[in-house]
Amino acid sequence: MKFLPRVLIPLLLLASASAQAATIEMNVNGLVCAFCAQGIEKQLRKFPATADVVVSLEQKLVAVSLKDGQDISDAELRRALTNAGYTVKAIERTQTPIAELRERLKQGKP
Amino acid sequence: MLRWSVGLAGACALAGSITVMAKPIAFAGGYTVMAEYGAGTMEELQLFYAPRYDFSFGGGHLELDSDETTKTRSINYARLNYLLHRWNLDNAQANVFVWGGVGSATGNTFTGSVLAENAGAQADYETRRIYASFKTDWQGSSAFSHRIDTLQLGLAPYRHEYGGIATWFLVQARQYTGGIHRGTESALLLRLFKGGVWVEAGVTNGGKLQAMAMVNF
Repeated sequence: MKFLPRVLIPLLLLASASAQAATIEMNVNGLVCAFCAQGIEKQLRKFPATADVVVSLEQKLVAVSLKDGQDISDAELRRALTNAGYTVKAIERTQTPIAELRERLKQGKP
Repeated sequence: MLRWSVGLAGACALAGSITVMAKPIAFAGGYTVMAEYGAGTMEELQLFYAPRYDFSFGGGHLELDSDETTKTRSINYARLNYLLHRWNLDNAQANVFVWGGVGSATGNTFTGSVLAENAGAQADYETRRIYASFKTDWQGSSAFSHRIDTLQLGLAPYRHEYGGIATWFLVQARQYTGGIHRGTESALLLRLFKGGVWVEAGVTNGGKLQAMAMVNF
């Protein structure tokens, strides 16, 4: 009987964290210049749920932080980047605060 | 106005605030303003708006001043630009653009204003360290036909990051048809860009200034 809470609670916590991801990180192809980044940032800031956007040409990474309690679906993100002219390779939802991510990227870390 | 804009571009370049080749479509929902001073032979000012990442429209003004003869052309035009194909690669991007439009032209070898047509294409390949592009731009009417072909090869000394200054060294080769310039005009250029501002300047094999400025917003 003690087995169930031990398994269920972490699973529920994981599911909750995933549902309220602080930051969405996307791996993007074709990201080679500041103008590319500028266009992508402009597209992503149109979402009412967007709190901040970080783009790293070095890591081919586009990250969006979300406002509390809000979300942008993977499909919407893929559509936005496709409409901006780029190809999304992967989308990952994390709990990494965007300020921490920005600092990590500034130090040249992936 | 055109000379003032080009002069401003040159001043920015000389002040060190200066960009890979100008694209006729910057990004969806964005405006592009571009001014070029081509060694006293051509001067061009363009304004485009891109409702989508693969399409833009706008207009421009082109002045041609032959360094072979006293021939001059002054052309105002409206233009549509279309991104025919883009390759988004792991560490590179390649594009093929085409464009076309109509306008009116005056010149000193014919009377009045004539209907002018324009068409062109550009192919480019870009990584964060290497750049290559070829552009062909034609302006024609019942009174003249001029084509400007431009090849650019660039090398960046470092990989720039978004928010920082990008630096490129370029070699440009350009040919004009229709009695504007004889032979190939080559130029060495320094290109700098940051955010939405791009400026390049350099000198041609004839010792003349070649400069360009572009703003995307």
